[in-house]
Amino acid sequence: MMSKLIAQKEGVEYLLMGNEAISRGALEAGVSVACGYPGTPSSEIIESLCRVAKEGNLYVEWSANEKVSMEVAAAASFAGMRSLCTMKQNGVHVASDFLLHLAASGIRGGMILVFCEDPGALSSVNEVESRYFAPMIEIPLLEPANFQEAKDMTRWAFELSEEIKNIVMVRSVTRLSHGSGNVIFGKLPNTKRQAEFRCDGPILDPDTGLVFSAPVVYKHQLQQEKIKRAEEIFERSPFNTYEGPEKPGVLLITSSICYLYCREAISLLGVEDRVGVLKFGATWPLPPSFLKRHLSLTDKILMVEEVRPFLEERVKILAAGMAPEMGIKTFYGKETGHFPSVGELNPDLVVSALGKIMGINSYVGMPADYEKKAQALASTKTPQRDLTFCPGCPHRASFWLIHNALQMDGRRGFVCGDIGCYSMAILSPAGGFGVMKTLHSMGSGTGIAGGFGKFGQFGMEQPVLTVCGDSTFYHAVIPALINAVHHRANMILIVLDNGGTAMTGFQSHPGLTVNAMGEEAPAVDIARICEAIGVKVEIRDPFDLEETRETINRLLEDEEGVRVLILRQICGLSPEKKAAKRYEVRIDEALCLGENCGCNRLCTRIFRCPGINWDRQKKKARIDEVICAGCGVCSSICPAGAIKREEAA
Amino acid sequence: MEDGGMGQRELQREVIDTHLCTGCGACVGLCPYQTSYHDRIILLHPCDIKVGRCYMFCPRTPTNLETMRKSLCEEKDLTPEIGAVKGFYLTRATDEQIRKDAQHGGSVTTLMTLALREGIIDTAIIAEGKENFLHRGVAVNDPAEVKKRGKSKFIVSPTVAEFNRAAKGEAKKIGVVATPCQVLALAKMRLKPVPVDEGNIDKLKLVIGLFCGWALSWRGFMELLRKKTGLDAVVGMDIPPRRHTLEVYTKDGTIEFSMEEVNSCIREACHYCFDTTAEFADISVGSARLPGRWEETRIWNQVIVRTQRGDDLVQLARAGGLLEFREAPGEALDELKKSAMEKKRTALKSIAARSGSSPDLLYLDRFDPVVRMLQG
Amino acid sequence: MEKQQLSKDPYNIVITGVGGQGNVMASRLLGNMLVRKGCQVTIGETFGASQRGGSVMSHLRVSAGSVWSPQIPKGRADIIAALEPVEALRVLMRYGNPEVMVLTNTRPLYPVAVIGGELDYPSPEEIGTTIRELSAHAWFIAATDEAIKLGNPILGNIVMIGAIAGTGELPISREDFREAFLNSMPATKLDVNLRAFDLGVEKVKQAGGLKPVPAPPK
Ligand SMILES: Cc1cc2nc3c(=O)[nH]c(=O)nc-3n(C[C@H](O)[C@H](O)[C@H](O)COP(=O)(O)OP(=O)(O)OC[C@H]3O[C@@H](n4cnc5c(N)ncnc54)[C@H](O)[C@@H]3O)c2cc1C
Ligand code: SF4
Ligand code: SF4
Repeated sequence: MMSKLIAQKEGVEYLLMGNEAISRGALEAGVSVACGYPGTPSSEIIESLCRVAKEGNLYVEWSANEKVSMEVAAAASFAGMRSLCTMKQNGVHVASDFLLHLAASGIRGGMILVFCEDPGALSSVNEVESRYFAPMIEIPLLEPANFQEAKDMTRWAFELSEEIKNIVMVRSVTRLSHGSGNVIFGKLPNTKRQAEFRCDGPILDPDTGLVFSAPVVYKHQLQQEKIKRAEEIFERSPFNTYEGPEKPGVLLITSSICYLYCREAISLLGVEDRVGVLKFGATWPLPPSFLKRHLSLTDKILMVEEVRPFLEERVKILAAGMAPEMGIKTFYGKETGHFPSVGELNPDLVVSALGKIMGINSYVGMPADYEKKAQALASTKTPQRDLTFCPGCPHRASFWLIHNALQMDGRRGFVCGDIGCYSMAILSPAGGFGVMKTLHSMGSGTGIAGGFGKFGQFGMEQPVLTVCGDSTFYHAVIPALINAVHHRANMILIVLDNGGTAMTGFQSHPGLTVNAMGEEAPAVDIARICEAIGVKVEIRDPFDLEETRETINRLLEDEEGVRVLILRQICGLSPEKKAAKRYEVRIDEALCLGENCGCNRLCTRIFRCPGINWDRQKKKARIDEVICAGCGVCSSICPAGAIKREEAA
Repeated sequence: MEDGGMGQRELQREVIDTHLCTGCGACVGLCPYQTSYHDRIILLHPCDIKVGRCYMFCPRTPTNLETMRKSLCEEKDLTPEIGAVKGFYLTRATDEQIRKDAQHGGSVTTLMTLALREGIIDTAIIAEGKENFLHRGVAVNDPAEVKKRGKSKFIVSPTVAEFNRAAKGEAKKIGVVATPCQVLALAKMRLKPVPVDEGNIDKLKLVIGLFCGWALSWRGFMELLRKKTGLDAVVGMDIPPRRHTLEVYTKDGTIEFSMEEVNSCIREACHYCFDTTAEFADISVGSARLPGRWEETRIWNQVIVRTQRGDDLVQLARAGGLLEFREAPGEALDELKKSAMEKKRTALKSIAARSGSSPDLLYLDRFDPVVRMLQG
Repeated sequence: MEKQQLSKDPYNIVITGVGGQGNVMASRLLGNMLVRKGCQVTIGETFGASQRGGSVMSHLRVSAGSVWSPQIPKGRADIIAALEPVEALRVLMRYGNPEVMVLTNTRPLYPVAVIGGELDYPSPEEIGTTIRELSAHAWFIAATDEAIKLGNPILGNIVMIGAIAGTGELPISREDFREAFLNSMPATKLDVNLRAFDLGVEKVKQAGGLKPVPAPPK
């Protein structure tokens, strides 16, 4: 089955996910190299490009981290090709050191950075805004507002990048990246560029000289000229649009997916003839003349954007300068409290802000009596659904063991968390049993633990543990581990090796034998890296409960330096595991002690694999065969031997 | 005891957090919520059962000793100081090898081996010494295995946990060697305070109690030992009567620790212990208190026989020539009673200090006749 | 492709369930079927962390000609298809209205807090009456149980797509399903999926569908 992403026909219309639309845009632009680090909601861009790498003659990789991915993509640009790198919002912060130098050195082949943000942190532990990098580092920023634009603007971003010889940022958000819509395809180019790095020319020559950010002031000057050029282009950009009446009572200024919320709100309120929408696709540098023309249409302006008032601030600054000619405008937005500057927006929020400004309160989303009835009837019947480790998940077993070992050790040890599925352990009901106490960025668990591990001299007696996933290990743990080893920090790193980047959907990483494009690749072994750093490593299976628990307790008692334990067991959702249950699991009701002294529902009250239910009538545990993944771990924790497992046929 | 709870929460509040826990292991192995690690009892996960066996069996939760004396012993045998006395002897093993591998006279090992051989029990639960003094209870069926595990372990072994485990299994008739706190736990179980698994406790056919002045805390003792000698060098220890020292036998000779040094490593729970002679055992055994040099007298045991089945076993050993008997000096029993009373008195003082009020005796009942006698 | 007339424009569909039930696949298949029919479709979706046992929801906006927001405004759902019963209630509380139609898979998936005992899960009767109270039409379909009979519980999502088609509310047919399926899935799996789809159509019709289902083209 050929992916529709490389359908040759121009003008065909497909339902594409925002991320796929971005990929198609890159393909239409003739991209040769695409790199990224997986992170929700960005991962499907690289994933879908992987699938067409062969037919499309692309080089696609999942890099070890975001910074590396940007460097690889930059090399492609230096060699004259077009390249793309992708990451989630905070990935830009990881890559930013390189990004700022790259922005100063400039590029050759068109290069774009697509970063997908997560307003409301639907799948993140932050909702940081990376749009601010554009003015900070002085590079252009584009924000597609629907699925068609996701494709078209991506394609155009490459042209812009080549035009100004600098990297261009393209911002998506969860609702766009993971949403889907109709997209009409454009043409695919049929030639690919030849890779060649020209570096023998005059050193300052942008096409043949050195690629370098010095002489700094000279290059900085050049960079600002590029931004000036972008500004001129943005004045005429078809992606900056106005729709609405000639003299709107209120002007909405917006960007990204909020554009669709604005349109919906106008339609819901029925104010199409009184409200206009100024949508910025090319958001930074803001084109001043274009802006001024539209600001002049009205006196009341409502700024609609996620998450922070990025456009709001910049529009106001420009408006202040224009005030002598244009007059003073009234701005509504986050600073006036019409919108929150946290979380994501939706059509209802725009309706209410716009309604407030226009004095309309006739809009009824949900009839009041219905709402009352729904609340009265349903609110007590909708038990909250906390996230939890999947059935069969090795992390549940790992944290079970870490918890038990720490309890037994009895010195109030704790775990510094890291980013991955196992971050869920910080929410105790999800299966972390309350052991994880800190959680920050990729690799920071090891860094923090390395700090704690040095505080013996100040009286710290608690054992310090940290966990990281296999992918996280390559991403950012290694430097922190080296630091801890060199400084003889007293800590234990537990690598929860589940054989893939599970959180984001099994992308490849350097520990695997297959790369993103499905080619064979040398696996970089975590244990051997640790040994080379000079750490003692042990490897256990978290499903061997007793042996692994004993190992953790023993490591806790070795109070010398850094110890590494690799807990190796494949993720329950991994393609190879999902297919087959290892065990058929059932409960022998005659043996199940249920709520009695001797068990008191250990499996459902404490262990809480979603595969086991508690039958409140019978007062017995019950396996839900649809959900149970067949790992069989619960049979080892049942004190009554009531959970029976048999090798599945 | 809030809203009448007698479960894990109360166990934690009244026993674990207050350092009354003896590490006996009575609360371990019944359920997945408690376990023992080193010499400590660990609460792994919270359990919210209102009346739990952990609490009901624990020797440090409130206990009506008077009911226990009356239901487990013959009233005519009862003494306030050392419980029921049916007979009092000085004995030692006739088998020299047993004596050599034993703490004192090897009487315990002899009696346990005999009980197994005669089918009085099919499983013996005894303490096994492990490296680094991390002892544990083991269940054995072969008399030869008992002989391999002589000698006292002065850091607690969670022996009752092993009883709990064995009772759930194949074993039908179980004998246990236990310290006084462990004997008390087993006695509480025999009164069946909760209607779960009561069939299991009926498997308990023999309890041999060890006299006990106090036991050591693992962490404290390890630190003390490390200061004076390597851990590997230790081959045994003892607490000679009257001398107020702890002797540690090493490959290079005996090291003596003064009571001052040892005091800091005594398990805190032992300060609150009311029992020297394992009053609710079938037979209780300790070191002999004889005139003469300790080095010579230590190969004898004092034995209190308390129950009919205890007496039957001791007589069987006498008849079989397995135990050698010796006339006990007249003052031996009195001396024992005196020292037992002394321990009780100190315990009451420590308990009152712990609870902060002298009428609050924590697990002990201030209306208990022996307690009242001591308090005058 | 001629432009489709819809009973409402935009026509708003919510597909809801629990992470891992195949919500995303269901919404994309349905979306593809509708795009085939010349509709403008916008799907709003969030996946990632919520796949780990959390509530998931896809919003489908179907229109003859315009792009709508990927989030349905409050109170504006036209059809709610729930792969899990309590999720139907949860969605009704925010997107329901007196005219809404609800299709509910009857098999519960208990939240961890229910498994743990801190929270209660409503009885099937309670769920049934509440959904009926809060909707104009309600169908209860043992989709997972039927799917298990077909050999794989995951097919519950396809049974539910069939059920949506069975209401006759949307211009989609068995043939659209076939085509859309083959566009993204291996042909070897078509048969069993078609059977699941048919079962869903059947179940709704048995329970008295709204309108006749468009017949597949000859
Ligand atoms: C902590 C402790 C303190 C003691 N304090 C005194 C005292 O103050 N005065 C006194 O007269 N006697 C005391 N004893 C008893 C004494 O040390 C001997 O155990 C007793 O005299 C029996 O000697 P034996 O030669 O017959 O024992 P052995 O034949 O050597 O048999 C001893 C048996 O006891 C078991 N055992 C050893 N340690 C433990 C333990 N910690 N818990 C349960 N079972 C165990 C062994 O497995 C073995 O089966 C104490 C014993 C212990 C364990
Ligand atoms: S075997 Fe047990 S622990 Fe594993 S998935 Fe099934 S119910 Fe969960
Ligand atoms: S004294 Fe024994 S039963 Fe009581 S808490 Fe300690 S180990 Fe458990």
